[in-house]
Amino acid sequence: MAGIGFVIQKLTKKDDLLGVFRAYTHAAMASTGPWLFTVLALIGITQFFTSSDPTDLNADFGYDNFRIVVIYNFAFSLVLSAPVFMIVTRYIADEIHKKDVTNTPSVMLGSLILLYLIQLPVVGWFYMFYVDFPLSMRIAAIVNVFMITSVWALAVFLTALKDYFAVSVAFAVGMITAALSAQFLKDSYGEAGMLNGFSFGLAIIVFTLVAKIFSEYSYRLDRPFAMLPHFRKYWELAVGGIFYNAAIWIDKWIMWFAPEAIKLPSKMVMYPDYDSATFLAYLTIVPALATFMVSVETHFFERYQRYYDDILGHMPLRRIRENQQRIIDSVLASARNFILVQGVIAFLAILLAVEIINLCDMVYTQIGMFRFAVLGAFFHVLLLFELIALSYFDSRKLVMRIQIVYFFANTLLTLWSLNQGFPYYGMGYFMASMLTFGLATFLLFTHTRKLTYHSFISNNNAIIT
Amino acid sequence: MKNQKKADICLILEGTYPYVEGGVSTWTHELIDTQEDKTFHILSILPREGEVTHKFSFPPNVVGHTDLRLQNLKKTGIRHARSLKALEGPLNNLTVGRAHLNDMQHVMRILGQFNTRPGEYELLDSEEAWELMESMYEASFSESSFLDYFWSWRAIMGGLYSILLSPLPEAQVYHALSTGYAGLLAARAKLETGRPVMITEHGIYTNERRIELASADWLEENFSRSLTIDDTRLSLRDLWMDAFTNYSRIAYEAADEIITLFTGNQKAQLADGATPEKLKVVPNGIDVERFAKIRRTPHERPTIALIGRVVPIKDVKGFIRTCAMLKEHLPDLKAYVMGSREEDENYAHECEEMVRHFSLEDVVEFTGQVAIDEYLPKIDLVVITSISESQPLVILEAGACGVPCVATNVGACAEMILGASDEQPRLGAGGAVVPLSNPAATAEAVYTLLTDRDYYKSCAEAIRQRVTLYYSKEQQHIAYDALYSTWMAAQTEAKRAEG
Repeated sequence: MAGIGFVIQKLTKKDDLLGVFRAYTHAAMASTGPWLFTVLALIGITQFFTSSDPTDLNADFGYDNFRIVVIYNFAFSLVLSAPVFMIVTRYIADEIHKKDVTNTPSVMLGSLILLYLIQLPVVGWFYMFYVDFPLSMRIAAIVNVFMITSVWALAVFLTALKDYFAVSVAFAVGMITAALSAQFLKDSYGEAGMLNGFSFGLAIIVFTLVAKIFSEYSYRLDRPFAMLPHFRKYWELAVGGIFYNAAIWIDKWIMWFAPEAIKLPSKMVMYPDYDSATFLAYLTIVPALATFMVSVETHFFERYQRYYDDILGHMPLRRIRENQQRIIDSVLASARNFILVQGVIAFLAILLAVEIINLCDMVYTQIGMFRFAVLGAFFHVLLLFELIALSYFDSRKLVMRIQIVYFFANTLLTLWSLNQGFPYYGMGYFMASMLTFGLATFLLFTHTRKLTYHSFISNNNAIIT
Repeated sequence: MKNQKKADICLILEGTYPYVEGGVSTWTHELIDTQEDKTFHILSILPREGEVTHKFSFPPNVVGHTDLRLQNLKKTGIRHARSLKALEGPLNNLTVGRAHLNDMQHVMRILGQFNTRPGEYELLDSEEAWELMESMYEASFSESSFLDYFWSWRAIMGGLYSILLSPLPEAQVYHALSTGYAGLLAARAKLETGRPVMITEHGIYTNERRIELASADWLEENFSRSLTIDDTRLSLRDLWMDAFTNYSRIAYEAADEIITLFTGNQKAQLADGATPEKLKVVPNGIDVERFAKIRRTPHERPTIALIGRVVPIKDVKGFIRTCAMLKEHLPDLKAYVMGSREEDENYAHECEEMVRHFSLEDVVEFTGQVAIDEYLPKIDLVVITSISESQPLVILEAGACGVPCVATNVGACAEMILGASDEQPRLGAGGAVVPLSNPAATAEAVYTLLTDRDYYKSCAEAIRQRVTLYYSKEQQHIAYDALYSTWMAAQTEAKRAEG
């Protein structure tokens, strides 16, 4: 019998459409976790260990060194670990989707090793050769960055496994211990003692999480670097991750070179007024984050799932289009709610800026920066929701492009605002967030309008690979 | 892909030679081997992916070989998407309508309007392609599973485009060994080069696809057809089937000569749009001398044989029933079932049960796969009870050594046993033709042949003569030699006329 009719069957069977979306949904949530943690930790540290008299630099050297090292370490570790963070998140999501998580403990160890290897050259050079510190402080700083990094890496595993409660408890206990032991060791061992005390608190988080992971999975060390092929397959996630995290930090890095910034004898620079103003502004988005989670779980996810289920359930195009419209409606309704809620909060924060600054024991020069940062955070959080929504549709390239745009927008506009002088400080971040949000909104709606095309063609692994 | 010297004949094969063993491949290899004064280019159409290994080594007159992977389109970095709206008309004709060669020409012309040869992006992945697909879906399949339509559309279009856009080897004559994609490529060769095109069909391609699609459970239907009688909605099976039927019609339209093994097939070819003046029968032949040499040996029991695999399509159970009826009148009957029992072990087991049930253990013997030469001397009659056949050579092989045959009226059986309608002079019956699935009729025909000595002798003589005159390998080779020579000469003539 001549002919190759049998090919037909093979081709129609490839229903790789849904892929790992469902598992990825929850993993995408995890990306907001580190941001919140950073903000809370930094605000706590800035408030708790702030120098009583900002003009008297010599009085509180140890505090400033401690604070600056922690801020630097958060920045180092967030930006440098972003690619690994994104890839491992995706890998775990894929594993959950495949219903095979036996390799999780191995990959956790592999990721930690990978993260240390990536950071060691940068951090090692910076603390051992660039800054001017006593040896005890150099070592304490390096230990601290590894602890912070470990916390990220482990949080990925637990959030991906959806054990939110264990994570919360570990973090609370760890952070309280960190604060107490830093305070306790301050008097006997100075700045290095504080840093080690803080690291000790983080170590509690790390070991609790490790224990949790090992207790949840049978321990088996086997293929710890199984996630490495994902770097090639999902390179857009890695690249996008590094740009997005750098975008979050770039305005601070640039502002550290403002004339008003301080340069410590260790050669490290920072601008505490700008940093604390923006960190405080970030707090205003917590209510929006909470409503977003609820809204996604109740509204969006159900429609999203229906959309893909009906495609795979062999429904006609008419039905798929109806479902698509329901997704668009849901996105629009949610957007309206967020903008309303977050708008009111931002409005109040700007209105009550003076009171808030006073309440937080901050200085009047921070009021302008705080107001801009509140507006920036408003658009930033909306942008974040859009990026997550696009991630649900697995449009990795699009997400990466927006993240790259955000980085360059924040860089250029912050440089511009720095150049414009003090009244404009913070405006760069605000404008960058607003512009990128505008772009992402446009792209999200274009994408959702062509959702079916993208689901079947551009985001379909059965076709693009 | 190898070197390419211009060949006399480009043989277009789909899913067979030189990668798959089987009837068509063996036939092709022999054809090339015997036409040693002509050179061949082998174009093998293969599925999109999957490893293949050569099962045949090419004779020296094969001067070129090209693999064409179906649905394998160029993947370009630079993208030149443009509206494909113009394709909708001809593509609709090709899939759900009634297509002609000019529809294919139309598609080729539109594809030619791209600045560079379009690839997978332009034709399947671009938003323009998506719009075309949606529009074609809405027009005819709006109630069907969109997911299945999507994959079917991609597979069908990908197949079509790969046939239209792959490099075409140069040759004087294009000879497709089936319709389907091979026929489509031959039609393209006709449109592009104007050179002679021949098609040889062993089985009827559309029939084979129809059977395959009927049993394809991956095509899900959402609507129930039983609710209304005048339901004009199309199913995805129709999409596939109409496409294949259209491909056949286009190939027949483009072909200068449409050859098959026996006249029975021509009905299907005419139904699929072939015009009668192009049709020709070239039956398969056998090595007459080899079988004529076999001497019959005297034996005591009247012996019949079913020579074929023990599978349902051969209706071995019908044969056993025939034996049970015959045993009452011919108590010393011997019946062989000669063929492999491994292909369908359940069925073979059921057959053996049946033999016990009818107490035929002494009559029916399953020999397994054996050399026919060794058994022919002691067989009096070959029996074919199949419900489907094309041109079973066993009738000819037995016939060459003077063994008549009783066969069901399938494929070329009647033509071989009773003679073609235009046989001159009439040689007479070389056995008997009986209706399908009718053991009583089969038993009666067998009984008559085994008991009426004169009738038997005349049948034996008739079949021997017919095989010698019309069914020798040499005749098959001469026929193809003549066909190739005629069309090559026509091509040379046309070239000269062009100057």
